[in-house]
Amino acid sequence: MYIKVDNNSTFVATGGKPFDASLPTVVLIHGSGLDHRGWALQARWFAFHGYSVFAPDLPGHSLSEGDALTSIEAMGSWLVRALDVAGVGDVHLVGHSQGLLVALEAAEILSDRLQSIVAISTGSAIPVNPSLIETAQNDPNLAAQMMLQWGFGNQHQQGASAVPGMQPIGIGQRIMANNPLAIDLAACDAYTTGSKRAQQLADKGCPSCVILAAQDRMTQRSAGFILAQDLGTQAQVISNMGHMLPMEAPKQSLNIMKTFIQSIEK
Amino acid sequence: MSKSSFLGADTIALHSGYQPESDHGSRAVPIYQTTSYVFDSVDEASALFNVEQGGHIYSRITNPTVAVLEQRLAALEGGAGAICTASGMSALFVTFFSLCSAGDHIVSAAQIYGSTVTLLKHTLKRFNIDCTFVDINDQDALADAIQDNTKLVFCESIGNPGLAVSNLPAIADTAHLQGIPLVVDATFATPYLNNPIQHGADVVVHSVTKWIGGHGVAIGGVVIDGGNFDWLKSGRFPTLTQPYEPFHGMNFWEEFGPSALAMRIRCESMRDIGAAMTPHNAFLLLQGLETLNLRMQQHVTNAQAMVSWLQEQDAVAWVNHPDIEPDQHTQTLFPKGAGSMLTFGVKGGRSAGAAFINALQLSSNLANVGDSRTLVLHPGSTTHSRLSETDLVAAGISADLIRVSVGIETLKDIKSDFGLGLRAAAKVAAAQIAQMEA
Repeated sequence: MYIKVDNNSTFVATGGKPFDASLPTVVLIHGSGLDHRGWALQARWFAFHGYSVFAPDLPGHSLSEGDALTSIEAMGSWLVRALDVAGVGDVHLVGHSQGLLVALEAAEILSDRLQSIVAISTGSAIPVNPSLIETAQNDPNLAAQMMLQWGFGNQHQQGASAVPGMQPIGIGQRIMANNPLAIDLAACDAYTTGSKRAQQLADKGCPSCVILAAQDRMTQRSAGFILAQDLGTQAQVISNMGHMLPMEAPKQSLNIMKTFIQSIEK
Repeated sequence: MSKSSFLGADTIALHSGYQPESDHGSRAVPIYQTTSYVFDSVDEASALFNVEQGGHIYSRITNPTVAVLEQRLAALEGGAGAICTASGMSALFVTFFSLCSAGDHIVSAAQIYGSTVTLLKHTLKRFNIDCTFVDINDQDALADAIQDNTKLVFCESIGNPGLAVSNLPAIADTAHLQGIPLVVDATFATPYLNNPIQHGADVVVHSVTKWIGGHGVAIGGVVIDGGNFDWLKSGRFPTLTQPYEPFHGMNFWEEFGPSALAMRIRCESMRDIGAAMTPHNAFLLLQGLETLNLRMQQHVTNAQAMVSWLQEQDAVAWVNHPDIEPDQHTQTLFPKGAGSMLTFGVKGGRSAGAAFINALQLSSNLANVGDSRTLVLHPGSTTHSRLSETDLVAAGISADLIRVSVGIETLKDIKSDFGLGLRAAAKVAAAQIAQMEA
């Protein structure tokens, strides 16, 4: 669906069903340079199993208009405005990589509306090598290639796909090279309050789930374990997969996500 | 645009899409000779049918062996996804069928395979889809032929049998300027010689029966979704950007973006038309694909040598190959050589040409190309026999044209065989002259 946020047309994927704000809402937040398509399969499962799905393209990404936001804090507050436009009340926030940082900032504003938080292939801080940011500014195609080379695990580097016939690296390349990757990476690099936000959520007793990838070369697994510690939970690690878990291991990541969210909805 | 894998082409051809630790450690890709797949539970079955998870339901739609070939070919061409089909013609049909509806229009190169002409000119016309044929390298003519209802521009990267090389970047620019995708049949080039997506193509089709298989034992086709075309921005493609009722209103562009076309073909054409590649054929074609790069080097080397040799023969009237005085775009698009097809005519015209073919001992007179063995054919009597005289001229086919798919045999043996044919042709030509003089 398309909604207006800050006067910009904003695309929000709903998993193939009309959005119904009265249902428990799962918010899926994409990572740097990506878009809602990374959640294509998970979104459909939630949408067809009693949830409403709210998977936006951040401003300036893929199907959403507007200038890209330059800080994680701005993205977090934008997300809450988008949820308000759609009339969403309580939410489960799910963030992949940078998306988790956005979720942490949104959580601060959402306060009691937040039912749970799920972190996928991420940490509470994502420092980015300055040379990668510079490459993303000067040669987005090359930067996307570098990101995907580090981002996908070994099997996918050799052409594996969870969806028969598809090439997730090729799909990721098309999406990432056309989105404001440099701005996203710079925002990640500058964000330093993630650990504090995560600890605040733990103090409030917010249910949380951390899903990591054994072959993640984008965010170190140690950062993921620290995040889990900050959130007061245990991390679960999916073997043989890389940083792009939502695309690489949609079934495995969904199984953990849905088991966790269903346990809260009960 | 970069490739969809970071491995080199030789490695992709051998490894992409399959790792032996799955299943039983089989080093070779197993043949999953099964119609269907057991679901773990009713919930899993439901999730598969509703595209909530990837996997296999029924081999008309997907099959694990076929999927390896699809993923390998998508990686080799630098695409976002691929769908294998029962033949090259069915790959073309599902592409046109997925992009066009009744009342739509296609602009096609005039110099293309005869059966594709028939599909575009006659078969699709029954479904009220029209086609205009143009000189594809005349960009003014191409631009003029595009109409409000045009859905795609089609060409072969190397035309069959005229062997004209399509100037892909220029054609893509012309098409894209009007919001139209470029669909390229790259059968004669193979992914070894040219990757059309890197030169502006949006969809690539192959008859994998040909050089990709190379052995001449299995029929198959593939559609590769380049993933670069913005179907929404174009505004011409409701099949990809509007809700599709049979899948609960699925919007392929919104949900799958770069792989929207491949997913539409998978969800609709493979289900409704069912032109599926068999797992056994996929296995056989994978065996060929593993050595494509090596074979193509030999094909091209032999073809270029045969071109030079034929040009020196007294009995030969003319020889055609894109590498003879290549234009700029041919050199740019085909730095490793423009394929292993050549055409030529012998002095004495059609009857002398027939004598040439009938005298061959090693080369095979048959309706195929891209076999590892050398193949010859008279298109005017066979593959293009259903075309009118006007269409034959437009397709670049003269009455004396002999089409040769140069194989990878020892070069001297091909020359020796063609020597037999040329001597037979020369006798016919001499008899013709004697008759005229008498």
